[in-house]
Amino acid sequence: MDYKYIEQLLENYFACTTTLQEEQILRSFFSQEDVPGHLVQYAELFQYATAAKEDTLGEDFDQRMMARIEATEEKATMTEEKPKARIVKMTTRHFAPFFKAAAVVAMALTIGRAAEHAIGEQEAEEKNNMVAVDPYIKTSDVQQAIRVKDVSQAETKATNDSIISRTTKDEIQ
Amino acid sequence: MDFKHDILPLKNIIFRVALRIVLNREEAEDIVQDTLLKLWERREELEKVDNMESFALTAARHLALDRKERMDNQLVSLDEEVHDQPEGQGGTDASLMHRETQGFIADIINALPEKQRTILQMRDIEGKNYKEIATTLSISESDVKVTLFRARNQLKEKILQKKSLFL
Repeated sequence: MDYKYIEQLLENYFACTTTLQEEQILRSFFSQEDVPGHLVQYAELFQYATAAKEDTLGEDFDQRMMARIEATEEKATMTEEKPKARIVKMTTRHFAPFFKAAAVVAMALTIGRAAEHAIGEQEAEEKNNMVAVDPYIKTSDVQQAIRVKDVSQAETKATNDSIISRTTKDEIQ
Repeated sequence: MDFKHDILPLKNIIFRVALRIVLNREEAEDIVQDTLLKLWERREELEKVDNMESFALTAARHLALDRKERMDNQLVSLDEEVHDQPEGQGGTDASLMHRETQGFIADIINALPEKQRTILQMRDIEGKNYKEIATTLSISESDVKVTLFRARNQLKEKILQKKSLFL
């Protein structure tokens, strides 16, 4: 049998001009049982290269590795609290139209309440008028009525302010 | 990205390349763990990397070189202690005797400089092309070829020496 091809490949191998495929041919050639005598000294080299690739890590390594990954995953979820807060912010933006709707409802309610207070004022005025008519009405009652009027006005203003600020906040967001 | 599916399969090539640098199985296994963990922690960046294996091997090599340096420093201090003993020379011989042989070829390869060892490992054992090796080691392809040439010819020389001894 002629080994010229293999001899040429060997020469090229040591000159670093072989392709990966040609190097694979050499490894396959030298892995056979009967390598010719004049080439046998190179058998060990190529057999070693084939065998060395079989050196692998076993299942026990995988178990140790997975345990380490799980441990760091737990740590990671604990430090991921901040991104979670950001997700909430995104939903706030998502629900902004609903908050606007809620603000409108609140506004309507406040106007309603304001209207009620206006009626209350009228009643208080009527009471005031009654003072002149009814001499038995207590001064403290009149004072109470005036105080109620003031407080309700202040309340209306406060509610309006908070609604305005909330609406602006929503818009900013 | 899934750890078991995308990252864990790299363990064996990382192990062999790291082992060729540190020449110690336990240290090499530690390097594999550290490398895989690092890859997993940086998985978002990894989506953009086009050759993940090369990226992983570069990281592993840096870890291995650091470890090797630390191990060698420890060995130097051990050697100094040995030399302080009266039978200094005997101690050095004994430590050489304890170095277990992996076989004729493995011993030649493992005695080569690290760069030659790593390149020979990647080309002749892992079957990687010059471009991949150059990328992994951050050197030029011609540098890869020159270094591989030296490694292969060192092997050839030792093989022919052995042959002439037996003739």
